[in-house]
Amino acid sequence: MKIKIFASALLALAWSTSCTNLDENLYSQVGSDDYGKTPSEIETIVGRAYSALRGFNDKTSISYPTCEYVFFLNACVSDEACIPTRGTDWFDGGRYQEAEYHTWTPDNSMILSAWRYHFEGIAKINAVIYQVDKSLLEEEAKLIIKAELRGLRAYFYYNLLDLFGNVPIVTNYEDLELPANSTRKEVFEFVEKELTETLPLLPTGKIYGRVTQNVANALLARLYLNSEVFTGIARWQECLDACDRITGYALEPNYFANFATNNESSEENIFVIPYDHKAGTTGNYLHSMTFHYKQKFAFSPKADYPWCGNGICGQPGLYSSFDEGDARKKAMLAGEQTDLATGNVILMDDGNKLDYTEAIIDYQHAVQNEGVRLFKYEVKAGETWERDHDWVLIRYAEIVMMKAECLVHQGNPEAAQPLVAEIRTRAGLDTPAPVDLAFIDQERKREFVFEGLRRTDNIRSGDFFKPWWIKGETPAYRALFPIPQSELDKNIHLTQNPGY
Amino acid sequence: MKIIHRIQTSLSIQLLGLLLVALLCGVKTFAQDTPPFMLSGRVTDIAKMPIAGATIAVEHTTQGTITDGNGQFSLQVRKGQNLVVSFISYQSQTIAIQSQTPLEIVLKEDVVQLDEAVVVAVGYGTMRKSDLTGAIASVSSEKMKKGIITSSEQLLQGRVAGLTVIQGTGDPAAGSSVRLRGGTSLTASNGPLVVVDGIPGVDMNTVQPSEITSIDVLKDASATAIYGSRGANGVIIVTTNRPKDKGTIEYSGYVAVGKVANHLDLLSANQWRKYVRDNQVANAIDYGGHTDWQKELEQTSITQSHTLAISNSNNNRSYRASVNYLNNEGVIRRTGLERISASLSATNYGLHEKLKIDIGLMGNFDTWKPLDYRIFERMYNLSPVIPVYDLNGEFTQIGGTNYENPVEINTNRTVKNNRYRLLGYTKAELEIVTGLKAVANLSYEYNSLQTNQYIPSNAMLEGQVDKGYGRKSLGDYTNKQLETYLTYDKTIGAHRMNLMAGYSYLDNTYAGFGAERRGFDTDLFSYHNLAAGQDFRAGDVYSYKGQSKLISFFGRANYNLKGKYMATATLRRDGSSRFGANHKWGYFPSASAAWRISDEAFMQSTRGWLNNLKLRVGYGVTGNQDGIGEYRSLAILGAGGASYYDAATGTWKQSYGPTQNPNPDLKWESTAQLNLGIDFSLFNRINGTLEVYQKKTSDLLYTYEVPQPPYLVGTILANVGDLSNKGIELTLNANLYRNNNLSVDMDFTLAHNRQEIEKLSNQTYETEQIYSGSLHSIRGLSNQFSQVIKEGYPVGSFWGPKCAGLTPEYEFILENEGESTYLGNVQPKLTAGLNLDVTYKQFDLGISAYGMFGQKVLNATAMALNDPTRLPAQNVPDDYLKTPISSPITYSDYWIEDASFVRLQTLTLGYQMQAEKLGISKIRVYVTGENLFVLTGYTGIDPEVSIDGLEHPGIDMVNYYPKPRTFSFGLNLTF
Repeated sequence: MKIKIFASALLALAWSTSCTNLDENLYSQVGSDDYGKTPSEIETIVGRAYSALRGFNDKTSISYPTCEYVFFLNACVSDEACIPTRGTDWFDGGRYQEAEYHTWTPDNSMILSAWRYHFEGIAKINAVIYQVDKSLLEEEAKLIIKAELRGLRAYFYYNLLDLFGNVPIVTNYEDLELPANSTRKEVFEFVEKELTETLPLLPTGKIYGRVTQNVANALLARLYLNSEVFTGIARWQECLDACDRITGYALEPNYFANFATNNESSEENIFVIPYDHKAGTTGNYLHSMTFHYKQKFAFSPKADYPWCGNGICGQPGLYSSFDEGDARKKAMLAGEQTDLATGNVILMDDGNKLDYTEAIIDYQHAVQNEGVRLFKYEVKAGETWERDHDWVLIRYAEIVMMKAECLVHQGNPEAAQPLVAEIRTRAGLDTPAPVDLAFIDQERKREFVFEGLRRTDNIRSGDFFKPWWIKGETPAYRALFPIPQSELDKNIHLTQNPGY
Repeated sequence: MKIIHRIQTSLSIQLLGLLLVALLCGVKTFAQDTPPFMLSGRVTDIAKMPIAGATIAVEHTTQGTITDGNGQFSLQVRKGQNLVVSFISYQSQTIAIQSQTPLEIVLKEDVVQLDEAVVVAVGYGTMRKSDLTGAIASVSSEKMKKGIITSSEQLLQGRVAGLTVIQGTGDPAAGSSVRLRGGTSLTASNGPLVVVDGIPGVDMNTVQPSEITSIDVLKDASATAIYGSRGANGVIIVTTNRPKDKGTIEYSGYVAVGKVANHLDLLSANQWRKYVRDNQVANAIDYGGHTDWQKELEQTSITQSHTLAISNSNNNRSYRASVNYLNNEGVIRRTGLERISASLSATNYGLHEKLKIDIGLMGNFDTWKPLDYRIFERMYNLSPVIPVYDLNGEFTQIGGTNYENPVEINTNRTVKNNRYRLLGYTKAELEIVTGLKAVANLSYEYNSLQTNQYIPSNAMLEGQVDKGYGRKSLGDYTNKQLETYLTYDKTIGAHRMNLMAGYSYLDNTYAGFGAERRGFDTDLFSYHNLAAGQDFRAGDVYSYKGQSKLISFFGRANYNLKGKYMATATLRRDGSSRFGANHKWGYFPSASAAWRISDEAFMQSTRGWLNNLKLRVGYGVTGNQDGIGEYRSLAILGAGGASYYDAATGTWKQSYGPTQNPNPDLKWESTAQLNLGIDFSLFNRINGTLEVYQKKTSDLLYTYEVPQPPYLVGTILANVGDLSNKGIELTLNANLYRNNNLSVDMDFTLAHNRQEIEKLSNQTYETEQIYSGSLHSIRGLSNQFSQVIKEGYPVGSFWGPKCAGLTPEYEFILENEGESTYLGNVQPKLTAGLNLDVTYKQFDLGISAYGMFGQKVLNATAMALNDPTRLPAQNVPDDYLKTPISSPITYSDYWIEDASFVRLQTLTLGYQMQAEKLGISKIRVYVTGENLFVLTGYTGIDPEVSIDGLEHPGIDMVNYYPKPRTFSFGLNLTF
């Protein structure tokens, strides 16, 4: 009898307690299937695609386009900048030295940063396109939103075409198959197709920080300008045509207005990454990577300026390539730095004066004050680690210079001269006639210094492969970066770029 | 039989069904002579706890029986016969039968207490140690750590073989890290599940140390499988005080004085000046100070604790209330922990003693000032010739990286954290019929953390940049839990069995919010008026909420034949909302058996010296679901701090995007464990246990890097790897000497564990090695790692170049061109604990020591401080002058040291006196010295370095909060 009671009780216990519901209740997050139904919700998802432009910092890489290490990589492998090893600082496993000597390996973490920056953006955009596709919007509206997203994706793919060449083309969010490489030519054609197809669907005029027809044309112009490098076939006229389709922009009378803290009013900037520390944007701290640890005393009498790490600086030869009268020379900080509170020159830890020099005597054992500093964007006492100036990706001066370069290629330097003169006049300089390719290349170096364009220019001019400063000759295969080793490890379908 | 058939259909209780069959088969009628009468009785211990399984034998006959779960027996006897009542580790009694009156037999424990008599909590019930089949260690309150206790885990340090408690800091506000038999997880917590008075998952610090009567540590899977997906790292069961005496008032308190036990020897100002003079160092700036930066940040700490408890017990109806105040100052200025805790518990009976209700409430309130750990690096960096204050009485600021005045950092900030912990429960036990009990335990745990911080606008680092920064946050955490189960005890002849089956439901909800602001025009408001800050940013206000559920069915069957042969089987079925859709439920089975060889007839000859010999074997599967977290299997969109600029409105808006890759296969980490144990007692003086185990953890969770695209995000949390732990443990408790005046007792624990990662990749997710032990924060080593997680090695394996020594120019000679290789690991090979208790008349002396052996520590502090670029601007150790290393900072095994140590944890001398005339039943005064010395070859501040996590396990990271050496004076009073 007892057993019966016991057993019945057990059964009652086992079956009566039907409380076995294990559904997860979401509170401060939202299931992806439950979101993106209304236009305003769609807008917030499209916004995520744009915020991917600012890059990220995670355990695997720091991938900021403005700084560590996407910008560093571009700047240090070119002839405009370098990160010398300063005692125990800035050795960091030799990654900057590899960039300087053009001896990088697939393990260089800056290369991984660049790879992940772009593919993170592409993955996010593909996810957003998927969300838009299954939203309740009209098909027409979907097409227009998707055109903008495809245009933005083409920007990332353009950069990949330039940096890595043979990258996988992935456009489908739902396809979880590990992708294989496409050839550089295929990537070129993909970027061209995406930009050309979406162009008529994109908004006209100017929309700050968004992909418009003007932005797509500027990207097409860049694509055609470098077409010879990318595909072996020059397409100067198509570059010119794309440049001519860009309307509504003008050179700012003051060069530095484009790089002011409030540079959103610039008439010249075509495509930017907007930043505002109050909105929580991160990654925009290049200035803290360049100035000396004690620079804050020179910027503010209260030393009210963020910490600085004394890293990246101009490569020797850059500073002196600017004429004394060149207004743009102020894009570099050189000479003695004065403590605003005392009026004395700032002393470094070793008791020497903080005096930025162009020369770097020993790249591997540089002294703290060697190298001129990157000073292009506005510096403000009291600003935060996260700076507020919007990062310029494309500005009208580049369109002007691209046209000039194409015209010289087409054997029409006379037509190119006034275009270059436009740029130089603003800088307070005369312009010789005629202009040649070498002159245009040097002018681009000065005009776009520290804007992340120099590596591409060096490759297009061929200087990239010649010795400069402490670097010897560079083999041709290094025009492309290797696919990061850790990416090859994760995806067996990827093959390494030739030469590595 | 129909009923039985139906039971078998239910999987979760199938085992119980099988045992019911066994039970039925066991029922048989005894062939009896014709005795004059049936005698019944009950056997209990002194505390009136029933003794189950005691042997009742009729002298000079073969007749006899054993007591049931309530200590009851009945036996047919004749007047004039003698009954011999015996039970292991109790004194046998011979009782002459004179009448038919039921007997109340009280057995006394042997003079030398064999711990086989101890009642052990096994989860959803208790058992005598003698009946156990699993590996369970028990520590009674008098055996726990004495002295200052700021986190309850410290009570067990060195007390349980295989339980490593590492106190890797002297910070009173920091907890300890606890590991049983090596860790089983890379990403999840490796701490055991804590069960307080039957409530699983409780924060152990909710209970005041004074209220703990015993702690049972469930070590092997056969013991912990009853806790299923949370049992893989062992289970610590805390049992709190149940009053047994008539009304008492107890007071206990102490005052302790502490000083930093060990410093680093860095150059003094005079040494620095001599060095500069002797070496004619150019540009060395002498700021004219004489500063020992370590001393400037230290203080002599005064700690006090007072506990008052009242309790009463009358026929098992009882209450107890207690309150404690603890103020533990740290040896670094402005640090400390203040705690007020209280507990109430009451028990009463109803329904003719068939219903027992326990109600309890425990709460404590901690408040502390978290330390800014950046002061330590600066304390070593700043040159001794820099004065703390400049001529204007302001903090000296020289400027430079990691060169801010650490006294300023430690002084100019207002921080205060509060934590509330509350646990309330109601437990009802109803005896439905004899032997069948239903238990329901409803509990509510509330834990909240408040943080407050204000950095004034003149403070270095953030203060000046932010122009004043204020922050407040509140995080809440609640556990609502129902645990219900039925137990059934039955004794039939020589067969004793216990069956248990139950259901539990746990709802864990956490929520919180916070606010911060910058840009204060005045610092007067501190963090009390955040609206005074003018600089408002996205992310300054936030809130969040999450929830998880755990639903379980569980059962256990226990069978005991003649106290000689024992078997236990358990099964738990856990379902968790955290698990992926494809693995919502998991089964966690176990089985174990034991054989008391010493009771066998063939062991008769050895009984003189071998009082007990028991063999145990157990196997089970347990889980760990800690590493999953909520919502990790789902496709979700989150803000992730990503705002975007909306050109149409000219404003910034919040965007939403995928924050993780969904993984519907996500599940618990599963650990299978085999355990062999031997319990033995020798010469009535020595009790010992030897355990050997092998654990294999599979489905190890790790965040794998995946190609992106096609994956949405670059990483995914997945169950991939395998890891094993093997080890051996020895526990000895010995009474070395005993007479009327003097007794000497010793407890000794020794454990060895060997861990190995067996697998890190599968077909989908692959990684050859994972770098860990980041050196990123050390100047010159950014983005470098010191350890790898790699197949064939344990977690925390140092990986780097080997250094063959120094050249005459003090440059490192790296072997194999600096190629990286295995350099040892952070896990101790041996851990040991030793306690000695001596009582002489009214004096008592207690000595406790513990040690860890064979573990390596990376002395990153020395590595960073012996850098040739430091002098003259930054300070260096004295050693640097003797060995002026000239190579740039380089990670190699040159800096990896054997950190084996023995620490004299406590030494207590007490004196107890009777003062009945004053109405005081007991007075004891004592002095305790803590951390009196450490024997070690390690050259850093302290060899006991935390091995938790993957970030800095076993790395002395230029931020060690030094441990204090303390002396306390204490008083215990009982009225």
